[in-house]
Amino acid sequence: MFFLNLGLGEFLTIFSAISASVVALYLLDRSRRRQTVATLKFWKPADMPSQVQQRKRITQPWSMLLQILGILFLLLALAGVRIGQQSTGATRDHVLILDSSAWMGARLAQRGTLLDEARTQARAWLKTIPSTDRVMVVRADAVASPVTRFESNRSVIERAIRETQPGASALNLGEALRFARQTGGGGEIVLATAGRIAPGDIPSPLPANLRVLSITGPYSNVGLHKVGLLRSITDPDAWEIFVTAKNYGPEIKNVTLALQFAGTPVGSRQFSLKPMSEQEATFVFKTRAAGLVEARLLSSGDSFPQDDRASFELPNQRQLRVTIYSAEPALLKPLLASNPNVAAVFLPPAAYGAPQPEKAERPDIVILDRFAPPTPPQQDSIWIEPPALQSPVPVAGTYAKVKITSWTNDSVLGAGLHTHDLELDSAIGFRTAPGDIAVAIIDAAPVIVARPGKHKTIVMGFHPERSRVKYELAAPLLFANILRWIAPESFLRWQLTGGNVGTVNVKLEPKTDPTQVRVLGGDGGAIPYTIDGDNLRFYSSSPGTVRVLTGEREAVYSLTVPEVGDILWQVPTTVRRGVPRRTPIENVARDIWYWLALAGLGCLLAEWLMYGKHRAKLRASVIARPTPMFARKAS
Amino acid sequence: MKVDAPIVDRKFLERLERLTLHWQKSFPGLVGGHNRSRFSGSGLEFLDHRNFYQGDDLRAVNWRAFMRLEKMFLKMFQVEPRVPVRIMLDISKSMTTGEQSKFNYARRVAAALSFVGLVKLDLITIQPFSDHLEHSFLCGGGRHRFMPAAEFLTNLKPAGAGDFLKVAREFNHEYSQRGLLIIISDFLDERDCLKPLQYLSDFGHELMLVHVWAEEDRVPPWDGELALEDAETGSSLEISFDDKARKIYTEAFDEYAALLRRCALRNSGRYAGLPTSLPVEEAMFGPMVSMGGLE
Repeated sequence: MFFLNLGLGEFLTIFSAISASVVALYLLDRSRRRQTVATLKFWKPADMPSQVQQRKRITQPWSMLLQILGILFLLLALAGVRIGQQSTGATRDHVLILDSSAWMGARLAQRGTLLDEARTQARAWLKTIPSTDRVMVVRADAVASPVTRFESNRSVIERAIRETQPGASALNLGEALRFARQTGGGGEIVLATAGRIAPGDIPSPLPANLRVLSITGPYSNVGLHKVGLLRSITDPDAWEIFVTAKNYGPEIKNVTLALQFAGTPVGSRQFSLKPMSEQEATFVFKTRAAGLVEARLLSSGDSFPQDDRASFELPNQRQLRVTIYSAEPALLKPLLASNPNVAAVFLPPAAYGAPQPEKAERPDIVILDRFAPPTPPQQDSIWIEPPALQSPVPVAGTYAKVKITSWTNDSVLGAGLHTHDLELDSAIGFRTAPGDIAVAIIDAAPVIVARPGKHKTIVMGFHPERSRVKYELAAPLLFANILRWIAPESFLRWQLTGGNVGTVNVKLEPKTDPTQVRVLGGDGGAIPYTIDGDNLRFYSSSPGTVRVLTGEREAVYSLTVPEVGDILWQVPTTVRRGVPRRTPIENVARDIWYWLALAGLGCLLAEWLMYGKHRAKLRASVIARPTPMFARKAS
Repeated sequence: MKVDAPIVDRKFLERLERLTLHWQKSFPGLVGGHNRSRFSGSGLEFLDHRNFYQGDDLRAVNWRAFMRLEKMFLKMFQVEPRVPVRIMLDISKSMTTGEQSKFNYARRVAAALSFVGLVKLDLITIQPFSDHLEHSFLCGGGRHRFMPAAEFLTNLKPAGAGDFLKVAREFNHEYSQRGLLIIISDFLDERDCLKPLQYLSDFGHELMLVHVWAEEDRVPPWDGELALEDAETGSSLEISFDDKARKIYTEAFDEYAALLRRCALRNSGRYAGLPTSLPVEEAMFGPMVSMGGLE
């Protein structure tokens, strides 16, 4: 019984006080019924009491009894009295953890999925608890997410159970139990799970109030575990594809791994996978075109086909088109031909501005070797020893026998350039404007200037192949830096990794600038991440593509493979299991407050009808036909 | 108070045609409704002719005889000096109390008695009263005069406090000719009613007392602490009422009714006690006949 946090004794005290008040008011009732009569002459006999000062006895005991009974029933209704027994006598809060990991989508032989079975058992458990107990539904995969608050409305709980769907990540059992424990509910923690967890995820110690609704089903599964795609270092047209398949079951499995690109088979492997082991296969194929690569496990025959397939979208490999206007093309050919990402076209200066063939593509970069065109180029350009009067950057002067004293270290232009004893026979110095980058500086003036803008411009005051620089390592490095600064997208290192949904760890290159790191989702939106040393970590709850940009490197994670726990959790024998036996109906505490309220109102209504306002009518109807006063005498 | 329905319905009136108002006394100078007079006067039936004298009513000249004989003769009619029947109807406020209105009941009884008298060509005077005599209504000459009487009764409204002594004096002063006096009232005057009734009887009227009471007037149905208020005077009384007190009250009421009855019988009159729970139809053919007021 519950009544404003009062116990039974306190409740009885309140009832006794109210009842005593009713009796006292009844005895001391001074209120009078006002009645208009035809005359007062018959109301004044000497033996009729004109006024009663105080009642000495209860003249209408049934009236008072009905009133007290009505008050008693109403108080009991407010107290929420129940029929039957209840273990604790108070409302309990339970936490129902529904395993919504990817493995719960595995199909059973005839009963739908594992999650369907979990839903059924969860509903069965829900029916065994008292109606006043509250339940919080928590969906658990890699993270534990509460779906409802502590709710006593069964329809809300049923809907939360019904709407739970398998996720794409594995169950993080420890975190789910930790979350349930932190909710502080005094009832049970009920876990409906198939028990697929990671090896290190076995929680210990388990909560004492844990109940496990074990979902038994298929155990064997073969699936893709990891997939990685990397552009070959030696051949930019080639892709190296690494595929790892894993056998999660206790039996040897023979499967075929097939690889397709744009619907065309490009390779296959036969695997004989031992229990709880994995094998990796490497495929290499060349393509510059964009397309969809799909890895598929054939004839796995398991009940969890979601991890038998992984697909990736390859970007096209586009070369940087460079047109060189030079009277001595042989000088620059070694610098440009060594880079496979560059497609160089050499033309004489007289060809500048001449009509190009219709199919000729517009160059990305123009290199003007000791030549100034009549009209400035409409794309990025590199000027080598431009004429003084036509230089895009004003010339400060021409200097002989000078040494490059410093290189810029603020941008990619000076990356790896540290030499300080590089002597130039002749060099042109420039006057920089605000925003210009002095790439190489002699004592008098900068001799290489980079000017950012809509069309990036590099002006070099010396020819890298006509000076002593050509014998230095700085020459190709300088040119590579210039091309990377102008067109960084052409030099990005692409790496595609296929993985599981959930937490992803990315190994960063040493000394990666954290400010240059961006993690973007498939829709371009930023995804939260953390960096711990050289380790970047982010979490993706749904299948999709995630791009990790770290300066000149871009790693694409195609998280399309559902994550499956490696081991099957063996529930300790000390943990309560299964749906408890349904409490017999006679022992279930049932609410009867509404019946008590009706009884209380009925008592008060009966009292009112019998002794209240209507009693005059009732009595009048009883004595409607009095005996004629003079009937006997008249006859 | 105006009633929407007819004060008495047609079927009831048809039954009332069988009844006759009955009285016992012989009033000086008058005959009863069933005894014809031989005196000439303003009657309806022809009695004789006489010679016309100046000053006679020209409407009584027999013009046919004048045309034939060229002499003016005057027609004489048989006078009908009937016993006046007067119905005193109490319209004081005490008549409005009770679950069933005594006032409406009394009006219906008065209407029924008026119809009975009119059918027998009696001269009926309806005289409402409270603490004084109100405007009366005189009717006679047949049943076709009943509708104005019913309308008069319908338009009556209860008002004032009862004062029988004052009303008796006014009545004797107003109506010097003796006759049948039917008093329809609850007789719940604060002062003594018996003395005025005796006064009226001594004056020569034959009394027919129709005592109307509501059930609450005789057996109050209430219990417990009561704050009573007199409907006429407004005076109040607080009292604790129970079964014992109720018994005492009813005995007092019955004793008072017995006094009224004895008063009527002692003066060769009639008495009928009519509770409002008794239908008027039953009352007319029951207590009113058994007491001898109607035949």
